[in-house]
Formats: sequence, C-alpha cells, structure tokens
Amino acid sequence: MQTTAGGFEVGKSRLTCLIVDDSAFMRFRLRRLMDSFENVIATEASNGVEALSEYGRLRPDIVLMDIVMPGLEGVETVRRIRAADRTARVIMVSSLSYQEKVEEALAAGALCFIPKPVTTEALRDAINRVLVATVV
Amino acid sequence: MRLGFVKTFVDASAELIGEVAGPSVKMGAVSMRERPDVGGGVTTVVCLSGEAQGRVIFDLDILTALQIAKRMLGEPSPGLTPMVRSAIAELASMAIGRALSRINDSGACVTMGPPVVLAGEYRGENTAGFETMVAAVMTECGEVRINVSIQDLH
Repeated sequence: MQTTAGGFEVGKSRLTCLIVDDSAFMRFRLRRLMDSFENVIATEASNGVEALSEYGRLRPDIVLMDIVMPGLEGVETVRRIRAADRTARVIMVSSLSYQEKVEEALAAGALCFIPKPVTTEALRDAINRVLVATVV
Repeated sequence: MRLGFVKTFVDASAELIGEVAGPSVKMGAVSMRERPDVGGGVTTVVCLSGEAQGRVIFDLDILTALQIAKRMLGEPSPGLTPMVRSAIAELASMAIGRALSRINDSGACVTMGPPVVLAGEYRGENTAGFETMVAAVMTECGEVRINVSIQDLH
C-alpha cells in the first residue's frame, strides 16, 4: 500500500475523484481542496444524472456527493451508483446534517458524511476513512 | 409563524456568515414586515416545505457580495460574475441547511430546495400572503439581510 504526499493511503499511485454538486462555487472549492493534495485527479458533475454518466465512464476511486440538487438529488444518485457498482466509495458533502438525513445517506450506500462548509482536515480524514473501509 | 424556527434560521445564518465572512458579526435590527426587505442587488431565495412552508431570502448589496465572495473564493472578482453569485447562493444554502439540521434534529420535518439567485427585478412580492421577519446581520464585509417568511402548518 502506498502513501501519497497528500497523506492518503491508497493502493495505487493516483487517486481519482468525482465531485458532484450543482453549485459552481462548491465544485470550485472542492476541486481546490482536492488539488491541494498531491496525486489527485478530480472531475466534476453538476447534477445526479451527469454524475451517473461520469461515474460509469470514469469509475473514480471516490465520489464527493451533494444532497440538495435539482432533478435527481444526491441520496438517490448514491443509491443508483451503488446499485451499479457495489464497490463505489461515496462521501456525502452537505449542509443538511440532521440525523435522519445522515442515516438516509448512509443507508443508500454512502460511506461517510461531512458537513459544509468543508475544511481541508475534514476532507482528508473522510477520504482516508473511505479508502480503508470495506465495501460489500 | 413559529418564532423558534425563525430564531434558528437567524442564529444559524449569523453563525455561518461569521465563519465565512469573518468572526466579527453583530446582529442589527430585527423587524416584522408585510413583505421581504430586498433590493440590495444580490438576492438569494431558498424555498422551504414540510411542517413550515415558505422561503428564506438573503439580500446583500453588490459590494458586500463581492467582499464575502472574495473570502469564500480566496481571490477578488472583477464584478458580479456567475461564480460570485454562486458563492453567495451557497452561503445562503449552507446557512439554511444548518438551521434545518437543528430544526429537524429537534423533531420537526422541514426540507429545502436549491437556492435561486434572482436578478435586480425582484422586489419582494408577497405572493405567499404571510408576514416576514427581517434580521440584519452586520459583518466585516457589510450587511446581510435575512428575510424569513414561513407559515407554520402545526
């Protein structure tokens, strides 16, 4: 197992990430945070439908997923990604962090939940946790 | 209007704005009005549904929006760009999301839609038919007016 300069423990040299958020600002912000870690390649989707398409095309190592989005919202998008790929590693990123919503997201297949606004430390910790999590 | 809900929206918003725009945040005047206090130039509306229906509106003047966006983006913007509008919309979304998390953890069920940034033509039409609590939050970047217009269904 390799350790990147960004502190991730990953089984390969690069970490690929799909950022899903309808907010252009949040995609910008999350991409900046991801870019601050080395060996990360981030791509973006601005809604759930686009996320499903990009996930199928790229099969990223991790997904950062918003909840409140027009059209196909985040929890249902996670459910569909996990139905298509049981090994998908998804981190929910949302300001809606009440217990019922967090439980709903985890039940849909997300492995971790971090509240907005996102800090570098919270994101790094979440990525480290989902990368070592057992997915079934 | 359930005042506990309104207080949660205002408190969570002030707290979130403080985290984003700088810690020196003071509450200004709070008033009840027939319609939202908007027209500053950058207006973001978030609609609510569930046990409390209505909307929360963030209203800022352009200079304040640019200053807050500069802190959120980490760089100045040449004007009211789509990215600046998106940053302000996200500020409102995060604040209301935090408020709803507290409200729902206390046993209620209120949900929110995506934030919508409105252009200058919006003047706070009172289509919902109920009053608005307006709270001014004074930040290092300028004033943010938070308009809470909700109808309690219980």
